[in-house]
Amino acid sequence: MHSKTRDNWIAAAFVAPFVIAYLVLFLYPTVRMVILTFTDAPLIGEGKWIGFKNYVRLFNDKAYFNAVWHTAYFVLLTVIPNTLLGLVFAMMVNRQKGYVQSLVLAAFFLPYILPVSVVFRIWEWIMDYQFGIAQYALDAFWGERVAVFRNKYWAMPMIAFVTIWWTIGFNVLLFIAGLRNISQDMYDASALDGADRWKQFRYITWPLIWPVTALVLTIQLILQLKIFDQLYLLTLGGNVNNTMVLVQYIYKQAFQLNKGGYGATVAFSLFVIIVVVSVLQYQALRAKPR
Amino acid sequence: MKVAGGQVLLGDLRRDEKRRNRKMRKLMTKALATAALLALTVGAQAKETVVWWDFLSGGDGVRMKALIDEFNKTNPDIEIQATTLEWGVPFYTKVQTSAAVGEGPDVMTYHLSRLPLGVDTGALREITADEMKAAGIDGANYAPANWQAAQVDGKQYAVPFDIHSIVLFYNKDALKKADLLGEDGKPKGFDGIENFDAALKKLKDSGSEYGMSFQTAGDGGVWRVFYSLFNQQGGEFYKDGKFLDGDNVDKAAKAAGAMAKWVADGVVPKQTDYNPSIALFTSGKAATLMNGVWEVPTMADLAKQGKLGFEWGAVQIPTLFDQPATWADSHAFAIPDRKGKEISPEKLKAVLAVIKWMNEHSISWANAGHIPAYLPVTQTEAFKTMEPNATYSSLAETAVFDPASKLAGVASPVYEASANNITTTVNGDMDPQEGAEGLRDELQGLLD
Repeated sequence: MHSKTRDNWIAAAFVAPFVIAYLVLFLYPTVRMVILTFTDAPLIGEGKWIGFKNYVRLFNDKAYFNAVWHTAYFVLLTVIPNTLLGLVFAMMVNRQKGYVQSLVLAAFFLPYILPVSVVFRIWEWIMDYQFGIAQYALDAFWGERVAVFRNKYWAMPMIAFVTIWWTIGFNVLLFIAGLRNISQDMYDASALDGADRWKQFRYITWPLIWPVTALVLTIQLILQLKIFDQLYLLTLGGNVNNTMVLVQYIYKQAFQLNKGGYGATVAFSLFVIIVVVSVLQYQALRAKPR
Repeated sequence: MKVAGGQVLLGDLRRDEKRRNRKMRKLMTKALATAALLALTVGAQAKETVVWWDFLSGGDGVRMKALIDEFNKTNPDIEIQATTLEWGVPFYTKVQTSAAVGEGPDVMTYHLSRLPLGVDTGALREITADEMKAAGIDGANYAPANWQAAQVDGKQYAVPFDIHSIVLFYNKDALKKADLLGEDGKPKGFDGIENFDAALKKLKDSGSEYGMSFQTAGDGGVWRVFYSLFNQQGGEFYKDGKFLDGDNVDKAAKAAGAMAKWVADGVVPKQTDYNPSIALFTSGKAATLMNGVWEVPTMADLAKQGKLGFEWGAVQIPTLFDQPATWADSHAFAIPDRKGKEISPEKLKAVLAVIKWMNEHSISWANAGHIPAYLPVTQTEAFKTMEPNATYSSLAETAVFDPASKLAGVASPVYEASANNITTTVNGDMDPQEGAEGLRDELQGLLD
């Protein structure tokens, strides 16, 4: 008794839990959200059907395009630096042995396990305009104190810095796993052929670690496009218009201004941006080195 | 075979008996447990629990907890189960979302300034005249403006609990050194913007690091001072669907400009968060502090522990422009409109009893610096001699509440727009006129 149909049924039974969860918890809410973009619904409750009005508004909304620009700026400041620094630190950690290696790795990884609220408190305290310890250093090198998270020019780079400090541990970990997969034989053989450190990196490490790099870049891109928590917390009380990013704009429209329909429209636009950008990026990265 | 069969039968019987016994015992246990459970439920029914949410921390929180404990002790048939949540946006967002799905407390604290917004988002339940009458809550016991602020379109949505405002805390020792302390122990020579500026300068010159401190970073601190100075010029923030209409925008610019000048002159600290702004005063670095009456307990407690290191006082905000006016708000009690899980009549009775009791005992709340909303308490000897409340309670007569708009109130779009434009102006990153117009345009843009 071995029929194709029966096999299919069993297979279906095994994938059903996932498929059902996916349909109910992801696809259905997504469809509802898209429907929401055509209504003037408040945050909670039903709204009237208003056709494409929300989209017309979106394309005429200066604040929205500012948010897109700020998000892009933040992505630029974090994605590539976070990935490359992760690789550099991973190679440095990889050269250590035994306890020293564990210790150094732990030092890089520790910030990553902190919740965002703690990260916020730490940096708020360090950077406090009146009492922060970093202000003494700023005073000495820059010449004056700067309320870094509230200053038009300082805020974004500083938040990018905090983000890298906070999340780089995870990238280091991924890269170390990748580096350990590269056989020592290749380095030994190349050394016999007279390759120096740089050449070893250029022709062995870089191409062989590339799949990990591409993965980290993609994860980073998606993550940083969705930037919200640390930026929201750290810029509270400043001119938030200067640093308003897309998710924050969604929050503002939906939760503060009670415009669920328009908030959903902005959210949907972010969804589309993330899908398009990450697919493009992954395709582009796949085609590169080797 | 027979014998054997009989033995089998006997064995079966015995086993049956055992099983029956076990069954019996199980049944008894179940019955007992049910009885115990029933007894418990009956006990709980006799005692009505009221789930309470507030956003009161610091000195406020301590005093409110004492009030709740006292209530629970003296009212055996009602028990308040209190939770304190984070003040501001987090509190109000949670209230709104939980009410919409039928969750949330039975009663909560609410800022009257935010009432229009709360009603607009459907978070609040109306309290009808009959319900209040049955509970013995009478509007005549409250100041008319205060009572009306608890209404939207003539419907009552809250019961006021206090009026709180900003005052000028001052360091008597520092003022004396700068010759700015009168015979009566109150500041002198602070009225009028020129005098005020000169006084702050004098304080700085006589050894204080700053003449005055207030929260110059963020929304609340700047908004309260700004709105006071704006109203001292007789400005109208919102009228007939227009924000800062006509020359009101110039008055706003003037208020913001005066504040920016303090920061630019170095007599008020730049970019200072809420807690550091208080620390600058309590550590003696700033001679005065413009902040809410809710910080009175902070000063009183520090002074009592001998940690302040100077004599302190608090007075009504001086009149810097044409007329006295001080920003004010009101803590009130409100009932969330829990969709699909409306409050039961018995619970409502208990909630209103709690509200009534709290107002009648608000003398210990006045201890936290506030002015009780319940007039009979303000007429008691105990309140009239309570310091420093008695010194500044005159501010209630010229208090100005936030504009009655669904965009206004604590942690509202008005606060955010003020942070974006006025706070930026105060810290010198924007020109006053530009800041005032930015505030107007941002808020007007949200209306359409």
